[in-house]
Amino acid sequence: MSAPRPLLRGRRKAVNALALGLASLATLLGLVVLVWILGTTLIHGAAALGPHLITQMTPPPGAAGGLANAIFGSTMLVLVAVLVGAPIGVLAGTHLAEYGRARPFAELVRFVNDILLSAPSVVIGLFVYQIVVRPSGHFSGWAGAVALGFILLPVVVRTTDETMRLVPISLREATLALGAPKWRMITQVIYPAARVGILTGLLLGIARISGETAPLLFTALNNQYWSMDLGHPLANVPVVIFQFALSPYDSWHSLAWAGALLLTVFVLVVSVLARTLLRGRTN
Amino acid sequence: MRQQMVPGGGPEAAARSAPAAVPEAGPRVSIEALDFYYGETQALRGITLALPERQVTGMIGPSGCGKSTLLRVLNRMYDLYPNQRASGRVLMDGENIIGPDVDVNALRRRVGMVFQRPTPFPMSIYENIAFGVRLHERLSRAEMDERVEWSLTRAALWEEVKDRLRNAAGGLSGGQQQRLCIARSIAVRPEVILLDEPTSALDPISTLRIEELIDELKRDFTIAIVTHNMQQAARVADQVAFFYLGELVEAGPSAQIFTAPHERRTQEYITGRFG
Repeated sequence: MSAPRPLLRGRRKAVNALALGLASLATLLGLVVLVWILGTTLIHGAAALGPHLITQMTPPPGAAGGLANAIFGSTMLVLVAVLVGAPIGVLAGTHLAEYGRARPFAELVRFVNDILLSAPSVVIGLFVYQIVVRPSGHFSGWAGAVALGFILLPVVVRTTDETMRLVPISLREATLALGAPKWRMITQVIYPAARVGILTGLLLGIARISGETAPLLFTALNNQYWSMDLGHPLANVPVVIFQFALSPYDSWHSLAWAGALLLTVFVLVVSVLARTLLRGRTN
Repeated sequence: MRQQMVPGGGPEAAARSAPAAVPEAGPRVSIEALDFYYGETQALRGITLALPERQVTGMIGPSGCGKSTLLRVLNRMYDLYPNQRASGRVLMDGENIIGPDVDVNALRRRVGMVFQRPTPFPMSIYENIAFGVRLHERLSRAEMDERVEWSLTRAALWEEVKDRLRNAAGGLSGGQQQRLCIARSIAVRPEVILLDEPTSALDPISTLRIEELIDELKRDFTIAIVTHNMQQAARVADQVAFFYLGELVEAGPSAQIFTAPHERRTQEYITGRFG
């Protein structure tokens, strides 16, 4: 090995150090911001944690209270959104992966779905406001669930389509070679093979919609009292955080922080669960 | 067991009761003037070949010569791909199985296929077998248990898996998975079994087991095997067909093909001068 000229070598080393330094700095910056956010949420939220969060309703200014109605409302909204969005999403994804493949129609649907995927959630909120809230004359839990469903749907469609297309062609041929009709191949072989991926997509979708605020402002709005009626305005964690954080009252601030912490932990748990599932599949 | 499933009489019976002077069995499948196209590209040209009943036909030839393509015609696998088409005749029991009115799923029950790489379904060992059977038959629990044991025994896998039938099939070794795929194919009691390079992804010991298995299975099934391994063809095949550039160069008893081929191209291929 002939040694390179010292001048060139020095320059190469300097460029290397500079690039490495900049990259490390950028990583550090991202991490600092993340830890900052999590830390602030944790410090302020932890102080407000307690059993009252799940036993008491959102209080009027100055009084003591919890988030019970908001937690219940959020659970209902997400649950209904999943019950509506997941089956439609999985079926649509199945169509794209198994029946559409490379047809122009499927390509169009994929394109439109990708647009929906990146549509600002406030636009979806306005849309549902127009088609559900205005005709019915009032805000409602149903409208909120529909808005969240619209946000969940493209996530599920995309992940279902992609995971199902990842199932090897050899597995399909082996199934059909036994004389299986296509629908049995899809339901009994492809779904089990793609199950983990589809479930992961659904979990990531749930993580995404459980923190959405903007679309709920136009749809479910909020409700200070306990309500199980989806036909009327429904309390939910994100909108409570939004309203309480903007208020001038300290007790409301502390509840907002508690809600933010709960939401963060929930999303974190769901994301970790999704990643664990994915890792289990690749091993 | 097999006698029950082959419908008696019909043209097939006539085909099998060949003149007594001919010691070989009659053809189970007769391929006549078969052409095959991938889009505009012709992959098979005027293939005429008979698969004798309960014998092993080995298909050899260099990559891209059309032998796998021919296998995929016999169970209509090419139907999955819209730009692939076949013309000519492939007769089973007097019926042209590449005709438009054929019930493809019923055909695929009669003509099973095992692929190059093991393809266990994402379910238990037991369910891997039962899945195919349920497509075509309604069996009681006990009958299904019996069928699973029968097919796994025939595939020389029963002793290794009988205590873990409920375990996922993906946990088996490659060789075991391939025998599971063979068990899965014979569980629906086909008449013909197509093997597309079934041992090319396996180690020598697993390969040997599969070859022994093929020898054992030909007592009940008509077998066609595509292989790149000349020794394998010599070991397992009764009849060998040599393909080159989409044409059938020559077919005959393996002993004759490997010792005294009529065609110079066959001679050159089996002695390793090209391919």
